[in-house]
Amino acid sequence: MTLKPAEWQLALPLGLAFASLFLAPFLLLFGVSFFNDDQITQPGFGQWIKFFGDPFHYKVIADTLLLGVKTVAATVIVGYPLALVFIDLGPRLQRVLIFIIVMPLLLSVVVRTFAWIVVLGREGVINTLLLHLGVISEPLRLLQTELGLVISMTQIEMPLMLLPLISVMSRIEPNLRDASAALGASRWRTLFTVIVPLSMPGLIAGCLLVFASSTTAFISQSIIGGVRLIYLPLLIWQQSLVVFNWPFAAVTSLALLVSVLSVIAALSYLGRRAGGAIHG
Amino acid sequence: MFNRRSLLTGATALGGASLLPMMAWAKGGLAAGIYPGPWEDAYRAIVQPALKKAYDIDLEFASLFAVDEIAKLKASRGAPPFDALVLDPGPRITAIEGGLLEKFDPKKLTNASKLPPSFLDQWGVCVSAQVVGIAYNPKKVPAPKGWGDLLKDPWVSRLGLSGFQTTFGTVALIELAKVFGGSETNVEPAMVELKKVLPKVAAVGQPAAMPGLFQQGQCDVMFTNTQVVAILKGKGVDIEFVKPETGAIAFYNTFHISKGSEQVENAYKYFDTIISKDVQTALMQPPFSFVPANKEVVLAPDLPLKSLEEFSGFVVHDWAKINPLRAAWIEKFNKDMAK
Amino acid sequence: MGRRQSFADISYGFVIGAIALLAVVIIVTPVIIVVILSFTDHQSLKFPPTGFSLQWYQQLFDESQSRQIHRAAGNTLEVAALSTLFGVVLGTLAALGLARSRSVAARVADSFFLSPLVLPGIAFGLAALMYFTLIGIRPSLGLVIAGHMIVTVPFVVRTTTASLSQLDPALNDSSQSLGASWFYTLRRVTLPLIFPGIAAGAFLAFMASVDNVPVSLFLSTARTDMLPIRMWGMMEATLDVRIAAISGILITAAFLLMLLMEWTVGLTRRMRD
Repeated sequence: MTLKPAEWQLALPLGLAFASLFLAPFLLLFGVSFFNDDQITQPGFGQWIKFFGDPFHYKVIADTLLLGVKTVAATVIVGYPLALVFIDLGPRLQRVLIFIIVMPLLLSVVVRTFAWIVVLGREGVINTLLLHLGVISEPLRLLQTELGLVISMTQIEMPLMLLPLISVMSRIEPNLRDASAALGASRWRTLFTVIVPLSMPGLIAGCLLVFASSTTAFISQSIIGGVRLIYLPLLIWQQSLVVFNWPFAAVTSLALLVSVLSVIAALSYLGRRAGGAIHG
Repeated sequence: MFNRRSLLTGATALGGASLLPMMAWAKGGLAAGIYPGPWEDAYRAIVQPALKKAYDIDLEFASLFAVDEIAKLKASRGAPPFDALVLDPGPRITAIEGGLLEKFDPKKLTNASKLPPSFLDQWGVCVSAQVVGIAYNPKKVPAPKGWGDLLKDPWVSRLGLSGFQTTFGTVALIELAKVFGGSETNVEPAMVELKKVLPKVAAVGQPAAMPGLFQQGQCDVMFTNTQVVAILKGKGVDIEFVKPETGAIAFYNTFHISKGSEQVENAYKYFDTIISKDVQTALMQPPFSFVPANKEVVLAPDLPLKSLEEFSGFVVHDWAKINPLRAAWIEKFNKDMAK
Repeated sequence: MGRRQSFADISYGFVIGAIALLAVVIIVTPVIIVVILSFTDHQSLKFPPTGFSLQWYQQLFDESQSRQIHRAAGNTLEVAALSTLFGVVLGTLAALGLARSRSVAARVADSFFLSPLVLPGIAFGLAALMYFTLIGIRPSLGLVIAGHMIVTVPFVVRTTTASLSQLDPALNDSSQSLGASWFYTLRRVTLPLIFPGIAAGAFLAFMASVDNVPVSLFLSTARTDMLPIRMWGMMEATLDVRIAAISGILITAAFLLMLLMEWTVGLTRRMRD
């Protein structure tokens, strides 16, 4: 054990950076929330009472978290099989697949939202295709619906799910899978008894990132979802950049932060238990 | 894309031989907030070289929407990130009430006498006006006559709606409210009527998304200003502007000096350049189509008005009354429209 | 494997393959649309295009027509590169420090480092601008870099922690019981094993920085124009096709990078043989 710094000290530099660059502005935001007026002169709990006294805001919180859950579920269901295919490929095809997986990140959010208008729109790609095939006779309403939003978020968030998942999955010993097969387990059984548990840390990390990202993705939510689907980031944008009621914007931001972080803390706890189970 | 040739001709005509020079942050510098899109393109092409030529001032633009300008001024109180800025009437009131602007002295502008007297006050100078009405796709729907038509077939099922976040959205919804008995301070009738037809409405979107939604055929009717229509039309989009029967809406764009700016003198020179006859004439040409403020400018034929006197025929609103109500309207719109 | 393919195995291949294919379709469709759009001969972002043209790429590369875009792109790349660099160093260290600790303090720190991901960008941008003005720091490129580092480092911390949690602690202990120094163990054992996690995090952080709107909106100045904000204005006001061409170039750059990696990996393999 020579020259070993106490492990926690390694987190100090980032901790200091966070204290000065993140915590300080955050505390300022917290302080601002305790003012009643938008000129930030009269201290009081007025904004907190206004936010939590209105049942509409509880619905918006619930909708926001639910959007996150749906997006996570969709990315896991669609993304996990792709990760399974990935680990069975040779190195060259793996690099091609990685390129495909990171593609959504290469489209700027501005262009990406426009592309989804093109795909989901009334005269869009899906409707044109389905009308042409005779599956439907009237264009489906996809744009500005939650279904359309979740579909587009699945694409946007896929890299956040797959990159951590693949980096963990590709380190699972292939021997373990072979052993499982040699013992007569079907591939389904191997999947659920060997691969899924071992890939848990990556899966949880992916879920965390997708959940955090999809619940705060203001541009995608409001452009693809439209403004009839109301999530917390829309309220924060309206309050901070349209009516300039920053105390109320601060309360709304803190509500989003706390509600999303509590879900994440729960997931994180599960992740550590899963990680602990592997290494005993 | 814009007709680059007319843009370049306009700029060269103004002596912009050194078009868009590399910016040096010299003594003669000025940072100005400007709206993205046609405003920024036009001001970079026309005002920047003109200011350099007339006063040797290096002009730098921060491309921001009005609300973003206010937010940055408010957050950096006293140490403004830009010296001068352009505003819509609503944000202008917010800025005045928030103490974000320096007092303005019209006498310091040499070109002041060339503007209508009402274009100048103690807070700033009006340099252009926007005219708001209805835009529709002539290949898909017949021309609507007035605001009330928007809620009837065939328009309602092709309507793209945006809320009170923008100046044009707010004034359009006020005019819609007036059709059903509302007023400048009462938009409730519009909300009641909208709610009735809501399931039919093609799109309720962010203002930023509307041009894209319109072009892709998601909606074929929306409210917007003449400049947006002119630009989209210039790009081959099927779009026409309609002056509603109750009159098109006009609102003014004003220039101001940020509180705490250290370049106040340069800001006056910047404004003087913008309102000069030559610059105003160049800004009026397509593809930019700015409505001029200088009385000496001969109006171009494709503008929505024939002379500046016609402004009296446009509907104007009192933003000092509207602004205090807007937060509640936005909240109401959220709740009424929410699925 | 000499084992006969059972029905379960066939259904496995079919189901997993079909869903994976669906995933690829979902991922690729918008990308294809944008690439097609970037070659349109139409004057605006209208899909489907009526004809083919390279004019948007020409305009994009033309210095006199796209000077502002070039400047914004330069700023954006500089900010992304530096904020990612700082983020990777600090974030990896922090992950190493916290991953295996079970103390409450470590858990709190772990959530703390994730929180910028959850605080909406607008709120952080606003608060940061207020705070820095308050303590007398004016917006600058340096401040944008610092702000981007804060909002993108969670990606590095998260993916690296995930890789570390999978690492067998016995490896570390055996290396060190064999007399290797802590640093040697880190360099020769730990880092190579968690490299995929760090690389994934770094890539996510870099792209998140390149695409960040809210933090740049508040912390940049008239002289530090950023690309996504410029693109936003181009989209909203004029449906400018150059924004599709910008994405086309990013995709091409990533493709070339992949080929380059392919080539270098092949090269090193040959040299080793």
